[in-house]
Parts: sequence; structure tokens; C-alpha cells
Amino acid sequence: MIHDFHYLKPGTLKEALAMYAEHEDCKVICGGQSLLIVMRQGMIAPENLLDIKHLNELNYIKFDEKDGLRLGATTTHRAIEKSEVIKKYYPALVAMENKLASIQVRNWGTIGGNLAHADPAGDPAPLLIALKANIKVGSAKGERVMPLDEFFVDYFETAMEKGELVLEVHVPVTQPKTGIAYQKFNYLTNDMGIVGVAASVTLNGGNTCKDARVVLGNAGPTPRRSKKAEEFLIGKALNDDVFAEAGKIASEDCEPVADIHASEDFRRHVIGVLTKRMLKKAFEEAQGK
Amino acid sequence: MEKRLITLNVNGIDYELYINPKTLLVEAIRDHIGLTGTKRGCDTVSCGACTVMIDDMSVKSCSILAVQAEGKKITTVEGLEKNGELSPIQKAFLDNGSYQCGFCTPGMLMSASAFLKENEGKDVTEEEIREGIEGNICRCTGYNSIVRAIESVVKGNYKEG
Amino acid sequence: MSTEIKELKFTTFKTNIKYSVINKRVHNIDGLAKVTGRATYTFDVKLPNMLYGKILRSPHPHARIVNIDASKALAMPGVIAVATGKDTPGVKQGIWRRYPELCDEQILPLEKVRYIGEPVAAVAAVTEEIAEKALELIDVEYEVLPPVFQPLDAIRKDAPIIHEGVERNINVTRHIEWGDVDDAFAEAEKDGYIREDWFRTSSQHHMCMETRAAVSSFTPDGKLTVYCSTQSPYYMQALLAGVLDMREGDIRVIAHYVGGGFGGKFELDAAIFCSAVLSKKTFRPVKIVFTREEDFIASKRRTPMHYYIRTAMKKDGTFLAREVRVFTNGGAYTGMGATALYLTGFFCSFPYKWRGYRYDGYRVYTNTLPSTAMRGFGAPQAMFCSEQQIEWMCADLGLDPYEVRRKNAHTECYEVPGQAYIQSCGMTQCIDKIEAWAKSKGNLGPNRAIGVSAAGFMSGGIFNWFDTPYSFSSAVVVINYDGKVDLYVGCQEIGQGSNTTMAIICAETLGVKIEDINVYSGDTAHSPADLGAWGSRQTLMAGNAVKMAAEDAKRQLLEFAYAEMGLNIVYDLDIKDRWVHVIARPERGMKYEDLVKRAIRGKDGQRIIGRGYYTPHRKGMISPAYSYMMQAVDAEIDPETGKITLHEVMTAHDCGQPINPLGLIGQLEGAASMALGFGYLEDQPMDEGKILNPNLVDYKVIRATEMPKTDMIEIDTYEAEGPYGAKEAGEGLTNPTAAALGNAIFHALGFQMKELPITPEKIVNALKEKKEKQGK
Repeated sequence: MIHDFHYLKPGTLKEALAMYAEHEDCKVICGGQSLLIVMRQGMIAPENLLDIKHLNELNYIKFDEKDGLRLGATTTHRAIEKSEVIKKYYPALVAMENKLASIQVRNWGTIGGNLAHADPAGDPAPLLIALKANIKVGSAKGERVMPLDEFFVDYFETAMEKGELVLEVHVPVTQPKTGIAYQKFNYLTNDMGIVGVAASVTLNGGNTCKDARVVLGNAGPTPRRSKKAEEFLIGKALNDDVFAEAGKIASEDCEPVADIHASEDFRRHVIGVLTKRMLKKAFEEAQGK
Repeated sequence: MEKRLITLNVNGIDYELYINPKTLLVEAIRDHIGLTGTKRGCDTVSCGACTVMIDDMSVKSCSILAVQAEGKKITTVEGLEKNGELSPIQKAFLDNGSYQCGFCTPGMLMSASAFLKENEGKDVTEEEIREGIEGNICRCTGYNSIVRAIESVVKGNYKEG
Repeated sequence: MSTEIKELKFTTFKTNIKYSVINKRVHNIDGLAKVTGRATYTFDVKLPNMLYGKILRSPHPHARIVNIDASKALAMPGVIAVATGKDTPGVKQGIWRRYPELCDEQILPLEKVRYIGEPVAAVAAVTEEIAEKALELIDVEYEVLPPVFQPLDAIRKDAPIIHEGVERNINVTRHIEWGDVDDAFAEAEKDGYIREDWFRTSSQHHMCMETRAAVSSFTPDGKLTVYCSTQSPYYMQALLAGVLDMREGDIRVIAHYVGGGFGGKFELDAAIFCSAVLSKKTFRPVKIVFTREEDFIASKRRTPMHYYIRTAMKKDGTFLAREVRVFTNGGAYTGMGATALYLTGFFCSFPYKWRGYRYDGYRVYTNTLPSTAMRGFGAPQAMFCSEQQIEWMCADLGLDPYEVRRKNAHTECYEVPGQAYIQSCGMTQCIDKIEAWAKSKGNLGPNRAIGVSAAGFMSGGIFNWFDTPYSFSSAVVVINYDGKVDLYVGCQEIGQGSNTTMAIICAETLGVKIEDINVYSGDTAHSPADLGAWGSRQTLMAGNAVKMAAEDAKRQLLEFAYAEMGLNIVYDLDIKDRWVHVIARPERGMKYEDLVKRAIRGKDGQRIIGRGYYTPHRKGMISPAYSYMMQAVDAEIDPETGKITLHEVMTAHDCGQPINPLGLIGQLEGAASMALGFGYLEDQPMDEGKILNPNLVDYKVIRATEMPKTDMIEIDTYEAEGPYGAKEAGEGLTNPTAAALGNAIFHALGFQMKELPITPEKIVNALKEKKEKQGK
């Protein structure tokens, strides 16, 4: 049962931040697609609930050819999935959203809420990290920006301080000759991943790797880059053997936890396979550009 | 325990409710307004039996606070028929036997309706139709008859006269 | 039990009858209510002055109840009553009442709890929230006892005893035997082929969209009305009478719309029992609806089984003998588990002729969620083991698996020695069709193959261990002044379409249109006696009763027409499409509506009432008729991740005469989705008796995006025992799929899956093992 709470409905972002600072035991609700489940289980029972779902100030998709993509925190997953401009410049984001939860959840749930919830199995984070995204958070005291891979601290825990909200996700323009791919492994197509891998590959003219990101989902308390795999790739001439070796490195450079769905060994095995496949896919896309 | 006075517009009618803000939209619809067509089948936003439309988008009413739905156009299964005339998707369900026990059916119809609205005038593939109802579990039919019903409406077999 | 097998007779023939309603696509007669949100399930029922009930459940798998103190809960504002076992007559109940040793469950136990989640107390309060909060205020003192979770551990001499007096926790044993098994094995040892394998099948849950739910209302005149989500109002009425020390006639059970059953809802459950007990205490209606979690942990599940099969065949593929030993995980109580134990043993011989067959089944109590009937009733487990082993033996011997199956298949008028006799049987035609289809597909590419499985199933069990020895159905047809027909049946609509099937049979028999039929079911106040929806019995048994009732009514009606028209005998007349006519001269006749008016007038306003009844006498021990099928699954496996992609399911199916074709397709597709889930997705893993995935995130069921294309080839047969030649189509289709999937994997990747569910991890591990073996 959801415990009683005092409901706060601010009219503007400024008001919201002020209310958040003012109320001690306060949780923020936006789409609530994750939050309400844990509240119903009694795991979270805040005295105050701050509703920011309706704040249109944070509901936007902006693209600029130099600045890149800016997503307001209360933008729904569905809006991202259906955005023509995102489809054109960041098709991997659209593909990822298409397999996230269900249409109903995507119609109401938001990107800001998803990232703030910090589920290590969440889909957007690994891909956004591979895209070198930054996240802007703010409170009544001010705003700050950090790279997304520094935003996640532990299971369901972010680097946000008291009174801070997610405001915006910024995805910079992808470098030329860059390919990005993301895939999760699951039993049902729209389930959260048992594990997931996002890879980005930037090429140097030919087939040599100029830059790479290998980001693992649900392979530890937070989405994590396998820096060992990335270092292995940079400077190498890319081919299937290199991808397979990078997969092996990544599969050992993580902390997947066993549960009823899969053992630790199997998770590592799948991470190896997905890393290999996503690197190859990203490589092929980069070549085409 | 506090209560709020809100107005919900359901199937074109404004309902005034005085409710605890933790009331879920599905509870407001079923228990406070009394429209029991919408069902509940889980507590983890998984099954889709509670699906309704908000501004013609499908949503799971078990994971939306009623207070968040104020000012929006809410449609439930009861709102699909007009003056005793069934909507095309309802007719297609009847013609294709796209239900058995019927418990998932209201939610399934809402997902199907939202899908059809979104894709009006467009060509859709079978895979897209399946994705359109992916958020709704049916334990009885195996889904294929539901897909056939939606396909049938897309093809224009139920042009509203 | 002695069995009289009556004379065999040939039954397959084309009838050349053009039916008006039968096998025509019609809207389900409750379709409008279901697609408009008007259908009111128990989940929706609200009565005046109603309270909400919640159940307190045991956190221990095995413990003595020392004391229950509900005083703090009772003191909470809004709490009206708390009930425990002490508030009940303490009857140990079970579905098979004729065998008291199988009646072992007090739903609110007095002495012991035997599984995590077992009800211990129930609260009724003015709101659901208060009832739930009150649960936390009930203090239960337990004396924890050592538990045991696996059947092979529970049968050990030193295992904790779960039910007093039941040695080694062996709840039920079943033995089936015919022929000289040892002799046949000896022959095979000389110049045949013998293979033995061990298998394990998993726990699956019905996962009905509507969880267990009941609203009970007890009134000061001593009458009880219960709305519940059930497959058999008849059983519920009688069981409640037994456990509450009441008369059946003072209990009314209503189930107008039921959100799925699949075998899990024809026993008395805690929602029904506790709401009734609380209502008796408070004299107010009490509603209990299980949460999804409660449904998973505390409503009985499919029986997990440990299977041993040893099979002998000649080198040319002729089956000689089979020996089967099964241990089932019965969980804490019997439920319908005894029947599942029996049927798995019988259907493990299906659909083949064996010179010798021996089955020994042991149902073992453990401290886990009790297991019971679930669609297929033990046969899906049997087929998973049997059909895979047969496929492997064919591969071992280099024989064609279609040919081997054809060689040994049941044929019509075959007697399974001492057990059953088969009248109609389309098994060979099914094999022919699937073989042709599979071969037409050609080479499917790497890591992809078609796997097949034969199967068959009963059209209702002959047995009824509840009150009378045999199963039965009855029906009443009432023709009204305007020609509209009220059809009263006791068969229960749970989504399988029985209301519509009965309406079709009634309309065809009477010669009217389906729109002329109003079906009344799901209410013991007016439903004729019928055991309800289980064992795929309704189309055949209730269908026969309806046919008989409609024939009775028609005959009474035609007697008036005969008198009017001055014919030779009444049999010269018939009714078709509302036209009463002379069969030889169809233009001579009168309108049905006019005849009805005249007849009723002739009877001083009395309506025409026809009665029908069916019971399967002298049909062997198991069923009056059997469906047959062969199913093929086209599956592709990702060899690196083990992930399975299902491409297509094709079934050649013999259900005799299809009655409701849309319903039949629905059963095929629905059964496939559930059986595929059994094959590769669904399970209830436990840790120390605690179910680890009691929610729909972690318990995986097929969704629209996973469901493959499904197609069916109907085989034309006619079953003399069934109404218009019809047989079952509800459960049989669940039987072959897991086996067919296993066989697809065998042919695609070359290894043998002996454990369900077939997960990607198991496949990857099998592939690793295979590589290591090849490396050596």
C-alpha cells in the first residue's frame, strides 16, 4: 500500500526547486513509472511528494548542428522514440527507446525520471554514456553539469545532492566516422536487460580505432564503461578478432550479479558476445559515414 | 491524511472527485467514478489490464496518480462505443474472436485503439502491430487473433459510415 | 475398478450433413459484454454494506501454530472481524471427497502450516487498506519445524513428516500396467534396442488474468451467496457445504464471468473460504481478491515431476515395451494432484500401441506450494519426456521418426488393454500432414530446425471422485412463447467459449438460429448439475446433454406439428433455419415461431421444456473419447547466446467435428502460447520453499512480440460418442509443444534437453559441453 503523503504541485521550475529545498523528507515524482512501484511496495514512503510531470519548461527536444541534442528532463520516452530529428542524427537512441518497457510506460515515463531512478539495468544510460552525454542537475542554489558516467554512484543512487533535480541531458554532436550500437540480452524483447552493451567506435580514416566506448548495463551497481576494453581498442586496426578479444576483456572487467534469470558466468559470457557484436555493428556504421 | 478536489474528464464527461492524492488513476476510475471496465492484473506495471488512453495515448492507469490526469482527456473502454454503436476495433474483435475470458480485453482494446489512432492512414507491418500491443498480456488467446483484428481495421474493413 | 468395454464399432464416416450453425464463424454470445467493459467479474462485484478481507500468511514452510493473538488487530478502528481455523468446523477438505485420505487440507489450519504463504488468519475491515494494516497487528506464535522441499529428499526415512501418519511423505501412488513388460524387455535385450532417460519438468503457474477472488454474503436466515472466480460452481457449492457444515441448498454460487481458470480454479481456495467464514462472522458481504503476488505464492500450480522412462523397441522401430517411474512434487496438500499423477502415467503411453506398459507414480508431499491440475493435467510433462526420447531413439537407430510414429500409432477401434478404447482416431492422418508440411519447408539454414511431437488427450474424465462414481452433465431447454430459447447449463464459461458452443449445439438441434438462444450458466440457483470446466469435458459431455435436451424439446414441439399436418409419423418432420417441414417435401411446412405459439397455447400457456443428461458409462477407465494431434515447432537458436526465436507452430489436429471454429482457433493459439511458455520461459524457482519470482516482471509469459505464427490442419473424423461427432480441443493442444520445441533444438544443435524450462543458459552450457566432448 502506498503510504499517505503531502502532495506538492509547483507551477514553475523555480517554484519546484524552492519547494524541494524547503521540504525535508521529499521525493520527486515525474512519470512515476518506476517510483510508484517501489512506493506501493512500501520501500519508499516520503512525507512529501513533489510532482514535476506537468512542468513544460523541462519538456523539450532541441537539436543544433554544432551544439548537439538537448533533452529536457520531463521529455517522455515516446517523444524521443518518435522524434524525426533524433531518428536522423542519433538513430540508436530511437532504436533503444523502441525496446524500452512498453508503449504505455514510454508514453508517460520520462528520460529524467529514468536516469534519476538509476536502475543499473536501465536502457538509456549505457547508450547515452557511449554517446558521451552530459547531465545537468539543478537546485534552488544553482545548476551544475557532469558527464553522465559520473552521475551514477551505486544501485539506485546518483551523485545528486539534496534538493537537486535532473534538468537536462545533453548529447554532443557525434564525431565524424563514428558508429554507435546498443543491445540488451533478455528473454522477452522489451524486458530490462539481463545484461546490455552499448558501443561506440570512431575511426581514423581507415580501419584504425581513434576512439571507443564500451558501456555495460546491469553488470554492476551502476552502468559502467569497460575502460580496459576501450584502451585495448584505441589505436588498433579493427577486425573480428579484435572485437572478440575486446568482448573477452569487457566480460572480465565488470561485476555482474547472479539471480534466478542467469548465473554470473552466463552473464559474463553474454557480455562478451554482445560487446563483440555491438563493436562490429558500430564499426560497420562508422565505415559507412 | 489530506484530500484534494480534482476534476477528471472521462469519456467526455467531467467528474468531480475528492480524493487522497495517493489514489491511482485506475482506483479513481473504478472505485470513485464507478467504471469497472478497466481492470487490474498486477502490481508491477507489467500486465496492461489497466490500460486507458490519456489524450489518445495509451497509458497504464495503475502507475499514474489520479491527480496527474487532471486537465487531460481520459478514455476508457466504456468510451469506445457511441450511442450503442461499437467502434471498428470492437467489431473487429467480435468478428475475429479476439478474446476468451475477456479480462485483458478492455486494456487490449485501449492499446489497439491508441495504436490505430497513431497510425491512421499509414501502412503498418504485422511486427508493428505486435509491438503496439506488447505491453498487454493475454493468457488465453495467444495474441494472433488480436493481431488479425487490428490488421483488419487497418485494412479498412470497418470504415465508419 | 472393473471395466466393461462394450463392443467396438467403426466410427469414421463422412456425414454429408450441411450444418446451419455448427462449424460456422459466430460471435461469442458473451462477446458484446466483454468488448464493451460490461462484463462483471468477481473482481468487479460490489455489494451493499460490503467489507474487504485480507489474509495473513505463514512466513514458514513448516511450523506448528502455537497461538494466534488478534486482539490488537480487532482493536484497530475499521476492523470488524478476524477469523482463524478456530472459527471453522476444522474440516479437512479436498476435491476428491470419496477418498477421505486425499482430503487433507484445512484452508485455515488449526495445528500446522506446511508451506510459505499458507493462510493462517483472515481480517475483514471497512477498507482494503485498513484490512492490510491490520494483518501486521496479528501476532502468531510458531514453533518452527524442519522442512523438506524436494520429493526425492522427502521420501527418505529420516525426512520430516509433513502429514501425520503419512509414511515417507508418500501422498498417493498409482500403478498402470498391461501386457508382459519384462518379457518384452527381454526380447529387446536380445535383438532390439533399449534406452533409458531421466527428466525433470518445471513448475508453471496458471497466471490467470483475474486472480483468485470471491465475495461472500451470509445472511441471518442462514443462507450464503458466493460470487467467485471458479471453474465449477457445482463443486464450490458442495465443498462449501462440507467445510461450513451447511446444506448445499442454502448456498448459492455465482460465476457469471471468470477471468481464466486453466485448471487452477475448480478447488476451494482461500479467497472463497475465508470470505465465507468472515461473512458468517459479520453477517456482511466480504470481498477478498488476491494480489498477483498472493496468486503466485498461494494458489496451487502445475505439478513438477521427476521422470524416468525406459523404452524398448525392435530395430525396425516397432515399440515393444515401456517402463515409467515418476515422482511428483506434490507440495503441501493433495489438491488435484492425484489425478495429475494418474493421467501423466496414462498419457505417457499415448498415442502408441505398446505390447507391455508399466507405470508407477508417486506423489510426494513437500513443504512447498501445493501442485494441482493445470491445462494438460500431467500430459504435457509426459509428452516432453516421451516424445523426445522417441526422437532420440530414432536418431540412435537411424530410423525415420515419422515412420516410426506411424508404425506404432493408435488407430480407430483400438483398445488400450484394460484401460480405454479408442473410437475415432485421426493420428495417422495427423502424422501424414505434418510430415508433408515439414518436408515442404526444406532446409531452414543453420541453427534452425523443425521438431515434432504427437499427442492426444481425453474429452473429459469418466471418473468423478467427488460424489458419484462417474462424471455427468445435464441441461434444460425452455422454449418461450416468442420462440426464443432459454438454455440452462451447468457447464462453466471461463473463456473457452462453452456458452457459445452449447448455444450452437442447441440451435443446430432445434433448428433455429443462434440469436434465438439465451444461455444461462454460472449460477447454482438455476444451473442444472454439471461438474464444470476441467479435463476438457464440456464440449463432449455438456454438449451431449444439451443435444439431448434440445431433441426432447424439439420432439414435444413436433408432436403438435404432426397433429396439425396429419403425417405418417412424427419422425417425418424436422426443423431447420426456423422452418418446420416434412423432410421428404421441405416446401411443406410452417414457421417455427407459429408452431411454438400454437403448441404453447395447446398446453394452456406452459412453455416447452426439454431435459438432457449425459454420463459416460462403460467407456473404460479414463475417457469416452480422445483427441489426437501432431505438432511441429520451427525454432531457431542463437548459438552464441542460446536465445530462442520461434518462427512457426503448425498443428494437424483431430477433434472430431469442430463446433465453434473461432473458439477452436482460439484454443490452438492460446494453448500454444501457454505450452511454449512451459517449454522455454516459465518456472517458479524457490529458495528454502520461498518462491523467488511472484510477479510478472520475473515470471515471464509470452507476449505478442514473441508469439509465432500458428496454423492448423483439421483432420476429418467423426466421434460417435460426441455431439455431432465432436471431441475436446481445450487441453490436448497444450500437450505436444514443449516436446516439439525440445526436438527442434535436438535437430538444430544436436543435444538433448532433459530439463524444463529450456533456457538460453542451459543451451549455451550444452553447447560448451558438446564442444569439449568433440575436442577430446
